Amino acid sequence: MRITKIFKIVLFPSFFTLFLLVAGCGEKFELNENLQNYSFSLVDQDGKPVNFPAQYKGKILVVGFIFTNCPDICPLTVNNMQKIQEEVGRIGAGEEVEFLAVSFDPERDSVAILKKFAEIREVNETNFRFLTGNKEAIDSLIKVMGIVAIPEDSTVVDNTISYYFTHTDRISLIDQDGSLRKEYSGSKIDTKEIIEDIGKLR
Amino acid sequence: MTLTKLFSALLLTVTIVAAVALAPKPEISNAWMRPNGEGMTTAAYVTITNKDTKADTLYAIETNLATRTELHESYQKDGKTKMRKVDFVVIPAKKTVEMKPGGLHIMLIKLKQDIIKKEKHDLVFKFRRAGSIKVTVVATDKAPGKK
Repeated sequence: MRITKIFKIVLFPSFFTLFLLVAGCGEKFELNENLQNYSFSLVDQDGKPVNFPAQYKGKILVVGFIFTNCPDICPLTVNNMQKIQEEVGRIGAGEEVEFLAVSFDPERDSVAILKKFAEIREVNETNFRFLTGNKEAIDSLIKVMGIVAIPEDSTVVDNTISYYFTHTDRISLIDQDGSLRKEYSGSKIDTKEIIEDIGKLR
Repeated sequence: MTLTKLFSALLLTVTIVAAVALAPKPEISNAWMRPNGEGMTTAAYVTITNKDTKADTLYAIETNLATRTELHESYQKDGKTKMRKVDFVVIPAKKTVEMKPGGLHIMLIKLKQDIIKKEKHDLVFKFRRAGSIKVTVVATDKAPGKK
C-alpha cells in the first residue's frame, strides 16, 4: 500500500518526465558520440595543419568522406556539400558552420591534388577544407567515424595500378561540442533535412 | 544462270547495305562530364535512344582526353558504394538507356589534361550496328537541366 503511494506520487512522475526527455532528444538526433577524446593531425588543401576535431570546437561541422579519383559518387557528395554551404550562407549561418571533405586515399590525395580538386570545382574555400594526412591518422579517423574504404576495382594503366574504393557513402554532422549527431548518405542527402538539423544545433 | 545468280547476290548485298545505312542511328543527348585535373579520373554521362527496330550495342568510347576509357557501373551493396567494369551496354530496340550518377557511366581514366567547367570535348561512341558516332560533351557539375 505504502509502496503503491510512493510509486504514484514520486516514481511515476519521475519516470514519465525522464521518458519525455529521452523521447524529445530522440526526435532531434539519433546520435551523441563524443569525439573530443580523439585527436587527429591532418593537413588542409593549403598545407595548413589541422587538429581534428579540437580545432573546430564551437563550430558545427559538415564532414564528407571522399577520394579525388572517384569518378561518380564522391563528386556528388562534394556537390551536395557545396549546395549545403550555399544554403547555410543564405540563412546567415556561414560563420557557424565548417565544411570538411576528408580523403580516405591519402597516398594519392596530396595537398596539391586536393587544392586542384577544390579549384577545378570552383569550391568556395572560405569555410570548406579538404583534409588529408598520413595513412595511419586517416585510417584511425575513418574508423572512429564508422567509414569503410577498401581499395578495389583496379585497372592497370601505363604500367601503374589505377584503383578505386568500395566505400561508405557518408556526410556526418558534428555539433559545437565535437559530438557526432547525425549521419546521411553523401550522394543522396536531402539538403533540406540537414539545413533543418543545422538549425536545431544553432 | 550464272548471271542470274550473280545478279541475285548483288541485289541481296545492296539491300542489306541499304537497310543498314537507312536504319536510324542511336540518338545521344544530355552529354556531360565532370571537371577534374590532369592525371585524375572522371566520369561522363549520356542518354542513348535507339529508334531502330533492332537492338544495338555500345562497346567502346574513344577520346584523346584520357589514357583509357571504360564503361562502368556504380551500385550499392551492404550499405557500401561499389563500382564494376561493364564490357558493353545493350540499347534495346525502341528503348532509351540513361547513364547517370550512381549508375552506368563512362570512365575517363588518367586524364591527359585538365577538364575545366564549360569546356566542350568530343567523344566517339562505337556501336556494333550503327558504327561510330561523335558526340560533344560539356564539362559541368550536374546533368544539363538539373538543379
